[in-house]
Amino acid sequence: MKRHLTGVIAAGLTVTLGLTGCSKGSSSGDSGDNKTIRFVAAIYDDKTKSLWDSLIKTFEAQNKGYKVNLEMVDWTQMDAKVKTYVQTKQTPDILNYNAFADFARDGLLFPTSDVLSPQVSSDILPSFVEGDKYKGTQYGMPLLSSVRLFFYNKDIFKKAGISAPPKTWDEVKTDAQKIKDKGGKGVFPLGLPLGAEESQAEFFMWAMNNGGGYVDQSGNWAIDSQANVDTLNYLKDLSKSGLTQPNPETTDRKDVFNQFAQGKIGMLNGAVFMPAGFINKVNAKLPYAIAPLPTKAGGTPSTLGVQDFLVAFKNNGGKKKDAVSKFLNFFYQTNNVANFQKEEGFLPVTKSAGDVIGKAVPYDKPFIDALPNAKFYPTGNAAWGPLANTVKEKLGTAITGDPKSVLSELQQTAQKNG
Amino acid sequence: MHDTIEARGAGAASPARTPRSPSIGRRILRALAPLPWIGPAIILIAAVVLWPVIEMAWTSLLKVSSSGKTLGFNGTRNYHDLFAETGLVSVLLRTVVWVVGVVLVTIVVSLALGQLLNARFPGRRVVRWAVIVPWAASVLMTALTWNWMLNYSYGVVNKILQGVGLIDHPVNWLAHPTQALIWMMWVAVFVSLPFTSFVILAGLQTVPQEVYEAARVDGAGRARTYFRITLPLLRPALLVAAIINVINVFNSFPIIWAMTKGGPGTKTDTSTTFMYKLAFVGSGSVGESAAMAVVNFVLILVLVLLYLRAVGWRGEAQP
Amino acid sequence: MTERSEGTEDAAPVVTPSDEGGSLTERSEGAGDTAPVVTPSDEGGATTVQSTRPRSARRGGPGRAKPGGRSGSVGRGKRAILAGVGYLVAFIFVAPYLEMLLTALKPDRELTASPTTFLPKHWNFGNFVDVWKAAPIWTNMQVSLTVAGAATLIALLVALPAAYYTARNRFWLRTPFLLLVLITQMFAPTALVVGIYREMVSLNLTDTLLGLILVNAAFNLPFCVWILHGYFSSIPKALEEAAYLDGAGKVKALTKVTLPLSLPGLVTAVIYTFIGAWNEYVVALTITSSPNRQPLTVAVPSFVTGYQEHWQYLFATSLIAIVPVVILFIVIERYLIGGLTAGSVK
Repeated sequence: MKRHLTGVIAAGLTVTLGLTGCSKGSSSGDSGDNKTIRFVAAIYDDKTKSLWDSLIKTFEAQNKGYKVNLEMVDWTQMDAKVKTYVQTKQTPDILNYNAFADFARDGLLFPTSDVLSPQVSSDILPSFVEGDKYKGTQYGMPLLSSVRLFFYNKDIFKKAGISAPPKTWDEVKTDAQKIKDKGGKGVFPLGLPLGAEESQAEFFMWAMNNGGGYVDQSGNWAIDSQANVDTLNYLKDLSKSGLTQPNPETTDRKDVFNQFAQGKIGMLNGAVFMPAGFINKVNAKLPYAIAPLPTKAGGTPSTLGVQDFLVAFKNNGGKKKDAVSKFLNFFYQTNNVANFQKEEGFLPVTKSAGDVIGKAVPYDKPFIDALPNAKFYPTGNAAWGPLANTVKEKLGTAITGDPKSVLSELQQTAQKNG
Repeated sequence: MHDTIEARGAGAASPARTPRSPSIGRRILRALAPLPWIGPAIILIAAVVLWPVIEMAWTSLLKVSSSGKTLGFNGTRNYHDLFAETGLVSVLLRTVVWVVGVVLVTIVVSLALGQLLNARFPGRRVVRWAVIVPWAASVLMTALTWNWMLNYSYGVVNKILQGVGLIDHPVNWLAHPTQALIWMMWVAVFVSLPFTSFVILAGLQTVPQEVYEAARVDGAGRARTYFRITLPLLRPALLVAAIINVINVFNSFPIIWAMTKGGPGTKTDTSTTFMYKLAFVGSGSVGESAAMAVVNFVLILVLVLLYLRAVGWRGEAQP
Repeated sequence: MTERSEGTEDAAPVVTPSDEGGSLTERSEGAGDTAPVVTPSDEGGATTVQSTRPRSARRGGPGRAKPGGRSGSVGRGKRAILAGVGYLVAFIFVAPYLEMLLTALKPDRELTASPTTFLPKHWNFGNFVDVWKAAPIWTNMQVSLTVAGAATLIALLVALPAAYYTARNRFWLRTPFLLLVLITQMFAPTALVVGIYREMVSLNLTDTLLGLILVNAAFNLPFCVWILHGYFSSIPKALEEAAYLDGAGKVKALTKVTLPLSLPGLVTAVIYTFIGAWNEYVVALTITSSPNRQPLTVAVPSFVTGYQEHWQYLFATSLIAIVPVVILFIVIERYLIGGLTAGSVK
């Protein structure tokens, strides 16, 4: 009897485990194949997935036996996913992300020289390469770049009686007040997205035009600097005075971009891809104009330059290097990369693509002109990845809390991680 | 066979027909006899439940880089870092409010619900079915519905409240930490009610009718009967319901994750979501997250023990 | 016991044997027994075996005394009030799922139309068709089913012998084992997710169904053992012995007497594990990454991400996942109460 029951249990267990074992075996068959790669890409807008899909289709047709499994991840979920993938050793073969240095530090990445042909490597615009390196070796491959400028709605400005876009913070405030008073019902004067999606960018744009930022002249972390504290106090005051959309601390960038496209926001720090990604879908005739970012006291405006990367993970002891390299070199062919960036409305990152796009899109000119004054994130610092995530998560709380203590907490996070 | 004849004699696990044999071999065999029965359970629990506990405690002492690489022993640094987190104190306090509040409200409401479900009225069966629904539905999906219903621009909650004149303008419920917390606690109560009220219902049905009849004969009033007779008899059911609820509510991750993700910042985090965020969202400090998990562990142990003490547990809950 | 409240009070042989001995007290109260339900009573150890009658026996005769609504003399008015309150409660419990359904039936642009409407202007039943194309939810559903089914099977197969043996025997490992079960019952996968994923990484079980199955089986196992142990203990050995003396074999005694008697306990254990695994979120979120190895709980929220908010698909999928489980629950509702009684009283 005893034996009987145990026998039954043993049989049952064997069956169940056998079944599940099979389902694992068959499904992991593809990941054991060195010609199949997993590519995690970020969603920039509605078109992103179809752009990658068609690129992958062409690639697979040109390279028989190779296969790319695409997984699209939204930016609002990207950080948590990447963290989880990295920590649970489920890294994709190629990842489209905005940080890489801590992965490089821990030896998880292929140096670009391992996966990109010399031809492609030398095609990358030199202004980006510096931000692609960790300790002198290039690991990041720029996928696209963006420059941020100040966008305003001409109709709303006219209604509020504002003749020119604000150049200083004081003007931002008085103009915002005018919009609040006369700009129309349901219009928010200033869009200020300090929610978890991109608060590290919004904060940086205001801070850099007050002489602040993430690092000081010598490259040391300076997040709790007085200039940064003043910046947040200024933004906090704007929000308190009802000059921004409600709850900046929980508002994501996409929300204000959408509202701007719908004509519900007077002005904001916009991005080069805003027309392609947001405005044209809603109202291609939106009467907007572009200006430099306002500065604290009216000095030379700086702007934020952003490059997002592709990085290649050394999975399975690097056995997929060949497949990864094939796909990356395919993607960086002039037409492919130029088409991708043009469709997404971003700025080119390679010389050859720049030549193609530069002639085709006049809209890009002010952004390309702003590039020399653009400041980039300290992406080459291994602490940047963890820091950026923490900033996204916590910075918004300064709007309702104490800016100084929020910033000093972030400073500690930065120092702790490198 | 053995289980039919003896059973009260301690250690008499071997077949009863075995004469008392002092041989060591037989003794060992006898001692090992339970293993085929309980061995698999022990193995599964040890391998999948206890291993992570140890792994977690160990990880809390390690230095793990932001990309998951173990960089060596870290002593108590992770605990230092954890206790230096500015949000920690309020997260812990919020956790206590969350657990105590949700469990208390759940039990009080469930007592009434149990009574209702036990009373006789036409259509009671359908009402019982309706009450079961949130139990059967996934907590995550329920929380997502509430998130949608509380949507600032398109949610029905704002529409209804505006309709009945309770609010003038739509409220961005989930953006304000206090309001968000209250709503999330309501959702936690909502999903805990079915189980709790059914446990209470089950408890009510074990109360022998004779007791009530006797009380009625004695002329005891309704309230008196309830507090003097029903409630004490429900004690075992309440005990179980409370403990299971404390554990579930403490670990309730999906509700907060689906509604606010603990944000803004850590202002609506409980220690469970906070722990998750330490590892997977913010700077990715796995060691610190493990330290938080250890603290959580101690916290829930304390909560349960305090509760058991408060209700004067005498061991009924033990099988 | 369950039945008493159902209105099927003309129940049959009520057997109340004491736990240890074999004395059976019979109080005959009617006839027509089917599957007996064993309900362990509280402190003493005395057990009531009472027959359950099929649902057809509803409303059979004057109501027996109720704890809440006292007895057959309940006035019509009071019943009406109770019913009114009952229906209101029912509505509150169902309302969120109703909103789920209504949203799932709205076309895309009505979701963000203002002002919001309660009912869809265009009833877009097509959402329930389109959703199968919008995402591989059939795969996710298979994953959920496999994980929940296999975890339940394993938990039950492992829990049954352990619970039975500890209920029937005293042995040196008994107390430590029961203590282990009692303590690990308080462990939740959520609290241990860091430890779990690190274990899964070292076992190379990340992104596998096996990993999910093992976690779900193991974490629900203690509750199964606990419930079943309580149930088996409440079934008098005398019943098994009686069957045994009647010439039934050991196995037969177990399968013909003990298991049927513990059906409510079994059902409770099965449901608890199945629902627990079906709804599990955190571990699946953490240890799986391939879309074809993610259960519904992980797949569903991805309909609403920053740039694409398809609430109608999210809720259509949610309903597809919820409805079968709700039906399952409704079907076993009566056992559930019996099972919970055992769990709560012992």
